[in-house]
Amino acid sequence: MRNAGNNCIVLDRAAVTVEAADPRSQETKTILAPVSLTLTEQRIAIIGANGSGKSTLLRLLNGLVLPSSGTVQVNGNSTQRDVSAVRRSVGFVFTDPLSQLVMPTPQEDIELSLRRQKLSKAERRHKATAILADYGLAHLAESSIYELSGGERQLTALATVLAVAPDILVLDEPSTLLDLRNTRLLMERLDALPQQIIMSTHNLDLAARFDRILVIDCGQLVFDGEPDRGIARYRELAG
Amino acid sequence: MTSSRPTNETLATTKKPSDSVDFTPARRRWGAMDLSLIAVFAALMAASIAVPGINVGVLGVPITLQTLVVALCGLVLGFGRGTAAVSLYILLGLIGLPIFSGFRAGPAVLASPSAGYIVGFIFGAAVIGLLARFALRSRWRAGALFGAAMVGTIVVHSFGIVGFLIKGMALPAAIAADVIYLPGDVIKNVLAVVIALSLHRAFPDLLVRRRK
Amino acid sequence: MVAGYVPGESIVHRTRLGLKALLLLLVAVLCLASPALSPEFSVGITTATLILVVIGHVVAGLGWQRLWRAVRLMLIFLILIAAYQWWQFGPLIAWQVIAAIVATVLASNVLTSTTPVDTLLDGLAALVRPLRRFGADPERFSLTVALMLRSIPYVIGAFADVRDAARARGLERNLVARSLPVVISTVAYARATGDALAARGLGDPEPPEAR
Repeated sequence: MRNAGNNCIVLDRAAVTVEAADPRSQETKTILAPVSLTLTEQRIAIIGANGSGKSTLLRLLNGLVLPSSGTVQVNGNSTQRDVSAVRRSVGFVFTDPLSQLVMPTPQEDIELSLRRQKLSKAERRHKATAILADYGLAHLAESSIYELSGGERQLTALATVLAVAPDILVLDEPSTLLDLRNTRLLMERLDALPQQIIMSTHNLDLAARFDRILVIDCGQLVFDGEPDRGIARYRELAG
Repeated sequence: MTSSRPTNETLATTKKPSDSVDFTPARRRWGAMDLSLIAVFAALMAASIAVPGINVGVLGVPITLQTLVVALCGLVLGFGRGTAAVSLYILLGLIGLPIFSGFRAGPAVLASPSAGYIVGFIFGAAVIGLLARFALRSRWRAGALFGAAMVGTIVVHSFGIVGFLIKGMALPAAIAADVIYLPGDVIKNVLAVVIALSLHRAFPDLLVRRRK
Repeated sequence: MVAGYVPGESIVHRTRLGLKALLLLLVAVLCLASPALSPEFSVGITTATLILVVIGHVVAGLGWQRLWRAVRLMLIFLILIAAYQWWQFGPLIAWQVIAAIVATVLASNVLTSTTPVDTLLDGLAALVRPLRRFGADPERFSLTVALMLRSIPYVIGAFADVRDAARARGLERNLVARSLPVVISTVAYARATGDALAARGLGDPEPPEAR
């Protein structure tokens, strides 16, 4: 944690388009229409239908997707120019933890995260053990990630991201594959974190507890503001 | 892997820094996406020997998918990454993972008579990857890709025959031992082209653009 | 995946990997280079090497069945080669050629059967490390190796799923139905993994000044 509470993400007319499926046509398809936002709140939720552009918006925030036009800046670093600095400050949690966990066991996966810090092998091992203990996962350290339950996997994925102490945490529908109990467990963990959190979700109960809500529909930002009104707007859109 | 703007080049060349349009393997360093594709295609090579062959009936013998994956490495990943994927697979097989056909492993494979094919896979994938670059820009893409795959097949089989000869087999016997695999490989090349072209549709952002 | 490693406590198991690799190299050199000196000499050397390798195999507790399986896989080729060599150069040379192939194959089988995969991978990493000065990146290399090992069970699973799905639709003999979905889900998996690595700041080449 370097500067909790002082994060600032600025999107300036950022838009994402892709070229059409037919290579012969020169047309482009808009995934995300130009959007300008300044994100400083501690807890921001993004809601919208499947395929509305939520994931693309989230991926803009750590440079996994670069804007086709416009710019995205995280704490002053542009995702186009200094993507590694951006990724150091923005941790990203995916919907499916299995696509995120690379090594066969939680212990090794956290050691992998720590590779970015120049530590010796023994230091990495020691630190990884400590991190797993911090997040209550010590008993799973040497289990195969395939043997973990969905909830344990997602908590492990979260721990691997937090291992490198990002300033901002971006989560792409982290609870979609979880049952109620594990969703609650995950949210308790997230609530306790000092990081700025930007999360997309289909769970409106979760979204209601956030400071600010963005509603995305068909690649357009259609609402930006208070949770209650945002959720009402989303329900309207869903018909 | 920093940009999601599709650039041209081979099918799966995606998300590369926009400042490096020309794919020169020795110069441009691979990003996370490249490493992932290389690793997963090497895994595909390894897995293809562990799954039962597909019994199509016409040939009388089940079709194994290994040479299909060699062709795909070239067609989908292109020269540099395709060669790297096949090489990674062979390297791990050589150091002892049981991932060569028949679950063989270790440097033993290089001493065995079919060693030529193993070495040939690397050059086959390289040649296919090299030719695929041109094939993708051609007007008859499917045909050109098939041609590229066939040249690769000829390279693999030539290495196979040379391997037999080095181990002391007579040329006619070596050719006879080799050609029985040829019909299956031709079928697999057709399949490889179908798969490569389908990947366009499945992953529109992997798309190939014509050169301006 | 079939494990090549056979656990054991034999002296071969306890020998260090580096020494075993060196011995393997020695076997290959003795068998393949000795014919350059004189045919009679090479027949003796190769036969002696083969006997030593077989003794090593037995000492390692690997059993005759495993030995036979290794030979059986290349039996047809061995017969073809032996026939040709006999016809061209006589039985002695034919024996030398066959014994050389069998000895090197068995020797490397002994190495891989008595060394755990972890140790082999560590050995590989140690081999790559000196190449750093030529621009090799051992960290990224081991990451790629780890990714590959992790992906094999996934891809085998994808083959099985697709086979079941094709069977359910009566497309069991359809090559496209059996292979295309495997490749598509494999590429999707590779891309998800690539994204996840990039998001974690792993795998991308580091700018030179950061080193």
